[in-house]
Amino acid sequence: MKTYEDLAGDGGSNIISQVVSQREKLSARLAKIKHKVALMSGKGGVGKSSITANIAACLVDQGYSVGILDADLNGPCIGNLLGVGCEQKLVIDDDGIDPGEGALGIKIMSMDMLLLSPDAPVMWTDDAEATSTWVSTMESTALRELLADTNWGELDYLLIDMPPGSDRMDNIRDLIPELAGVVEITIPSQLSQYIVSKSITKNNRMGVPIIGLIENMATYVCPHCNQEGKLFEGQDAEKLSSQKGINYIGKIPFDTRISRKTDSGSLFYTENKDSVTGKAIASVVDAIIKFIEDKSN
Amino acid sequence: MKFLCIPCDEQMETQMDGIMPTENKNLVMKFKCKKCGHMIAMLTNQFETEFVSKIGVELGGASNVGSRPLSMVGSQLSQAKKELDKGKAEDNLVWTEEAQLRIKKVPFFVRNMAKKTIINFALEKGVTLIDAKLMDEVREKVGM
Ligand SMILES: Nc1ncnc2c1ncn2[C@@H]1O[C@H](COP(=O)(O)OP(=O)(O)O)[C@@H](O)[C@H]1O
Ligand SMILES: [Mg+2]
Ligand SMILES: [Zn+2]
Repeated sequence: MKTYEDLAGDGGSNIISQVVSQREKLSARLAKIKHKVALMSGKGGVGKSSITANIAACLVDQGYSVGILDADLNGPCIGNLLGVGCEQKLVIDDDGIDPGEGALGIKIMSMDMLLLSPDAPVMWTDDAEATSTWVSTMESTALRELLADTNWGELDYLLIDMPPGSDRMDNIRDLIPELAGVVEITIPSQLSQYIVSKSITKNNRMGVPIIGLIENMATYVCPHCNQEGKLFEGQDAEKLSSQKGINYIGKIPFDTRISRKTDSGSLFYTENKDSVTGKAIASVVDAIIKFIEDKSN
Repeated sequence: MKFLCIPCDEQMETQMDGIMPTENKNLVMKFKCKKCGHMIAMLTNQFETEFVSKIGVELGGASNVGSRPLSMVGSQLSQAKKELDKGKAEDNLVWTEEAQLRIKKVPFFVRNMAKKTIINFALEKGVTLIDAKLMDEVREKVGM
């Protein structure tokens, strides 16, 4: 009797060659992007999207071309910060879909751009009995399509704004084996650090390089004297990093301007480079660039 | 997964016409030995079907629709912009709203095959309107 190997193809579906061509399309697209960096947090609401947008602004300021993939499929919001949303006209040809062009020329792809109306939820079926396996399958396929089918063009950096938690990291690692690394973001709260510490352990186990830990909303800046003070006492993210053996790459002060568009439609960083917060963002960016340079040497 | 006809020692081929998932995502796939004509059916339930769908490929081979950018997102996302789901314009057949809803419920990785089955059936019958009744007929014909 014939064996598996004796049979050519797989009865007409050519699953293997379909998977291979999916892979080829993805790697051809990603080959034009020099560095891919994922930004993660254990919890939502710690400022991941705000920081991602401002890191992007700082990279642009240094002359790099930057794209952002909003991988937070169910809670897309970074487009909002960059001025790209549902009203975006879609340009699709055989080769792919054009990313939105946000503030400072930052390219962006987000579920918001694909939905009919701003308040439409991201749902993969109208069937109320959809199983979680189904939804999870759809989400991982969607991530692949958003990465592979977007006409990113040549980019120096692609930043990936991850959903809260570490579930989707397995997907990203499969899709982007050459990922430069992950930036973990926490706030000085015990709960946030507890969860981010799990995420760090998981990434270490999976062999995903960790660029470092950012502590957001760590201090406040007095608007009168421009002095920094601590917001919380005794929750030391720096200690967490050294326990976990990863780099502590910076503290970002509590600054309500950080996630607002400026009056001219630009991003906070670009117009406040010399503020305490602006400098903190720049030093985080330097640490990221240094990590990537050291790695490639 | 491959299927072998033991008497003929020949690989069995996927039958396009056999693909017609029910709304609850049960799936029938038929395989035929081209030497002796013997046919078998593989029956899967919703969970087994989802397992197959994990890899995000299309059973029966990639269709043109399948190679469009964002093909899964465009066809599966519940409130997607119209520009994303242009695959439907492939022929002059008119789908009633109900028929469109029903085809949307078919898992995307077999949807194009299900569509082809329905389209072929309609063309054979010489009708241009695809409605729920026609879809029921197709399902009966392929043995569901
Ligand atoms: N450094 C900061 N100072 C003040 N507010 C901040 C700071 N970082 C984030 N925020 C605010 O916190 C909220 C959550 O931020 P967001 O970037 O959406 O978090 P995430 O992406 O982690 O869910 C927003 O309202 C944002 O304006
Ligand atoms: Mg966010
Ligand atoms: Zn046979």
